[in-house]
Amino acid sequence: MTFEVETGSRKRVVQITGGAGKYQAVVDGSAYVLDVARAGENWSLLMGPVRAGSPASLSVRAGRSYEVTVGVQLGGELSVFVNRRALAVRLDALSTDLDRRRIARRAGGRGDHTADTRSGPLDVTAPMPGRIVRVLVKAGDVVAARQGVVVVEAMKMENELRSPRAGTVKEVRVGQGALVEAKTVLVVIE
Amino acid sequence: MRKILVANRGEIAVRVIRACRDMGLASVAVYSDCDRTARHVRMADQACAIGPNAPAESYLRIDRLIDAALASGADAIHPGYGFLAENDAFAAACRDAGLTFIGPSPESIALMGSKTKARRAALDAGVPVVPGTDEPFAADERESVIASAAERIGYPLLIKAVAGGGGKGMRLVTAPDDLSSAIRAARSEANTAFGDPAIYLERRLVRPRHIEVQLLGDLHGNVLPFVERECSIQRRHQKVIEETPSPVVSPALRAHITSAAAAVARSVGYASAGTIEFLLDEEGRFFFLEMNTRLQVEHPITEMVTGVDLVRAQIRVARGERLDVDPPTALTPIGHAIECRIYAEDPDAGFMPSPGRITGLRVPGGPWIRDDSGAESGAEVPIFYDPLISKLSAWGGDRPQAVARMRRALDEYEVRGIRTTVPFFRWMLQQAAFEAATFHTGYLDELLQQRQGEPFEIPSEDEEQVAAMAAALQAFTALSSTSSVTPNARMETWRDARVQQSNQPAKMGWKRLARLEGLRP
Repeated sequence: MTFEVETGSRKRVVQITGGAGKYQAVVDGSAYVLDVARAGENWSLLMGPVRAGSPASLSVRAGRSYEVTVGVQLGGELSVFVNRRALAVRLDALSTDLDRRRIARRAGGRGDHTADTRSGPLDVTAPMPGRIVRVLVKAGDVVAARQGVVVVEAMKMENELRSPRAGTVKEVRVGQGALVEAKTVLVVIE
Repeated sequence: MRKILVANRGEIAVRVIRACRDMGLASVAVYSDCDRTARHVRMADQACAIGPNAPAESYLRIDRLIDAALASGADAIHPGYGFLAENDAFAAACRDAGLTFIGPSPESIALMGSKTKARRAALDAGVPVVPGTDEPFAADERESVIASAAERIGYPLLIKAVAGGGGKGMRLVTAPDDLSSAIRAARSEANTAFGDPAIYLERRLVRPRHIEVQLLGDLHGNVLPFVERECSIQRRHQKVIEETPSPVVSPALRAHITSAAAAVARSVGYASAGTIEFLLDEEGRFFFLEMNTRLQVEHPITEMVTGVDLVRAQIRVARGERLDVDPPTALTPIGHAIECRIYAEDPDAGFMPSPGRITGLRVPGGPWIRDDSGAESGAEVPIFYDPLISKLSAWGGDRPQAVARMRRALDEYEVRGIRTTVPFFRWMLQQAAFEAATFHTGYLDELLQQRQGEPFEIPSEDEEQVAAMAAALQAFTALSSTSSVTPNARMETWRDARVQQSNQPAKMGWKRLARLEGLRP
């Protein structure tokens, strides 16, 4: 079975064959043999070269040892820990054209999304989930650039959110004491 | 004293409950709604609900804590640190209710808790203080009055909460234009954190080091200073790494600074565990900064180099016993100890809090490693409280050995489900200035400012390849074992199943957005 796997720096094509803990993995054309044993969520993964003269053998001798945990998938991303270090991994099966199309579509979709969130620079939004301690402005107020407009408390620290530029307060969308999620628009500056 | 109510949560509640166990004392935990299943609750002998999640409605409710103590039959209260630990009204309420407050007297807390009165006490004891305003500015003090005081002291300066601690209610002001909003923020934060909006000003020294002296006092007039701790690695005035002894304090300076600390404590009749903080300038002069009238977060490293159990000692002196530690034991460190404060924060997103459920946790151990934590796998890190989840300490015969052990321990640490500062510490302990101990209190903020947003931990080619193979293997075995007809249908089934396993959809909002915004990798 062949997969396209994206980690931080690039995509790899990974082909897996075998079973019952003994596998061969071909990563971008380089072949390895893998011995995988699971202890609960944690795997012991031993990796070695494919030994010459025994193409059918999937045994690993004195392989490099890795501790691996494959975490839950969140938003199309797997959280994989290799030797206690977290890596974000995107994975798709490359069995059919349908999958290729879906990958292409998803890649396109991500691009659009990024552009979306760049619009509306005059919104003052919550940087993290928190509680509104104080609203320093009201609709119609004239504000200077970097003037404080709202104070948000998260995990006991207060942060004053400032106006991104000089203007007029068009709208105040929250009140004192409100609990807000990250990215909630709090104040709109015109 | 037979039963102690621990008026706190998280790792410090666990620490105090452990001390109770060690001493054969019963313990009572308290909890807010979201802490019902917390580790400290399950560890204690008894537990009492004290209200909703907001600290002001639970862990800061003196009346409910006293009620809980009386209802559970506790005869003493340990406040931990934070919350009400330095609240003289709480200490007085305990006394009035016939309960032993395991800490200093309300009078000591009130005196040293007022940073301006504490500065006066230090001066009276012949100890130099950082130049600043001698009287506090009340909540209604006009800004023009504060501004003219600021002009006299000179910029850059620090606004500090009179009742402050832990960097809360503190703001650095580099130019007069920023004074007004900084005053507002400091007052408000001070009011929220300590219930007192009064502030004062202090000159900001150039590249100082933070050196502090742990003290123990008893009710018989004895005050014992301990070998100094160095806490110069700070991010926005919050200690991040502490070590003891300081790499730059000579035996002569140690004798000088510890006796100065003891003099201040003696002059106010201090009778519990406490810490006096100093700034050490580049010429080797030290200045009294403030006194913390509580057990410090970083007390474990002092325990590691002296062998003294500070919580036990605190409990013993509270019940009237004499200090049983020899002065040379307290002042002569054996080896070196370091502590890293592991926070539920995402270092790659500007240290943004990362609350949520810990889905997997593996804690390092082995030779000379200590982990003080209230967290565990399956536990939720709530947004309502300080995001400290663990204090990782390492001991070595000398500093390089302690550093090597800390690196090893950090390498073993794995937290899944939330982001933590572990990757930051792995990076930090590789910095040349850390190794050479040439830092000062502004060092880390400067270092972080120079970074261009690259992740603290960049996986190696090898690790990336293994991760790719592991993800493919996981999918391969899942797909091989399902009975769906087509590969595509199987893939969908597998993906759906994985997504359903995710138990924190609500937490995804900001993570995903942060990633799209380029705040996260």
